[in-house]
Amino acid sequence: MPADPNMKILVVDDMVTMRRIVKNILKQLGFANVEEAENGQEALQKLQTDRYGFVVSDWNMPVMTGIDMLRAIRADEKLKTTPVLMVTAEAQQSNLVEAVQAGVSNYIVKPFTAEILQEKIAKIFK
Amino acid sequence: MHNQEHKLYGELGALARFVDHAMKAISAIGPQIMSSSTQLPTAASHLSDLSKMTEDGTLEVMRLTEMIQDNHGKIAKDISGVVEVLRAMDCASLAGRLGNVTSVLAQDGKCLTDIMTALSFQDLVAQRVKKLVAILDEVQGKLMELIVVFGLQESCEAARDAGTAEHLLKQLEESKTAAMKQQVADNILAQFGFK
Repeated sequence: MPADPNMKILVVDDMVTMRRIVKNILKQLGFANVEEAENGQEALQKLQTDRYGFVVSDWNMPVMTGIDMLRAIRADEKLKTTPVLMVTAEAQQSNLVEAVQAGVSNYIVKPFTAEILQEKIAKIFK
Repeated sequence: MHNQEHKLYGELGALARFVDHAMKAISAIGPQIMSSSTQLPTAASHLSDLSKMTEDGTLEVMRLTEMIQDNHGKIAKDISGVVEVLRAMDCASLAGRLGNVTSVLAQDGKCLTDIMTALSFQDLVAQRVKKLVAILDEVQGKLMELIVVFGLQESCEAARDAGTAEHLLKQLEESKTAAMKQQVADNILAQFGFK
C-alpha cells in the first residue's frame, strides 16, 4: 500500500534547520500536510490530539529524546502502530540496536538525501 | 629495627622532596593554568556564536531556496497551461520547446532539493559544537579543581595551552569516526529482518 500523500506527518527535531529540511523534502515528495514538534514530549502531545500517518524523529533532543518518545508511542495502545522513522547522526551500532528493540520502523543516518528518505518511506508503507 | 627506621626516614625524606618538587612544578605552571582556565568560557562562547552564525546563514539560504522552488512551481504550472493551448492550436514545435523548459525546471528542482539536504551540515556542525562546549566545560572544571586544590595564584599572562587544543581536536576527530554510514546502518537493520 503506497503512502497516502494527504496523510498528516509529524517531524520531530530540536533543530529548526533539520525540521525545515525534512519538511521541504517531504513537500517535494508530495506530502504537503506536515507538522513540527521540537522534542518528544511536544510530539506525544500532538500525537494524542491528532491523527498522524507517520513520525520522522531525531534522536538527541532536550526534554524528551527520540528513543524515549518511540518507547512511549509503542507503549500507548492508541499510538503503538504509528510508523516512526528515526533520522539521526547518532548512528552507532548500539543506538541502532536500541532503536530496533524499541520498535523503530526504519532508520536514516545524517546527512541523507531525498532519495534515501523516499526509499525509507516507501519501505514503511510497502 | 634501627636500620628499618633509618630506611623509613629515608623514604619519607624522598617522598617529601618529591612532593616539594611537584608543588614547585605546579606553581610554575600556575599562571598558564589560570590563563587557560579564564579563556575557556570565551572559547565556548565563540563556539556557540559559530553555531548561531551557521544557523542564521543556513536559514537564509533555505528561505531563498524555498522562494526559488515556489517560483519554479508557479512557472511550471503556467508553462503546462500554455503547452496545452499550443497543442490545441496544433503548434507542436513551440509546445515541444516549452516542454524542454519544463524539463530544465525539473532538473533545477532536483538541484534545489539537493541544496536543501546539503544544508543539514548545519545540524551536524551544531552537534559537534555542543560536544566541544561540553568538553571545554569539563576541562575548565578540572582546571578550577587544580587551582583550588593547589591554591594557585592568578597571573594571567598570555600563555597558550596547545596541548588542550590538540586534545580537543583529537576528541573531535574520534567523534567523527564514531559515526556510521547509511550503508552500514542498513546492513545492521537487515540483520533484524528489515528488507
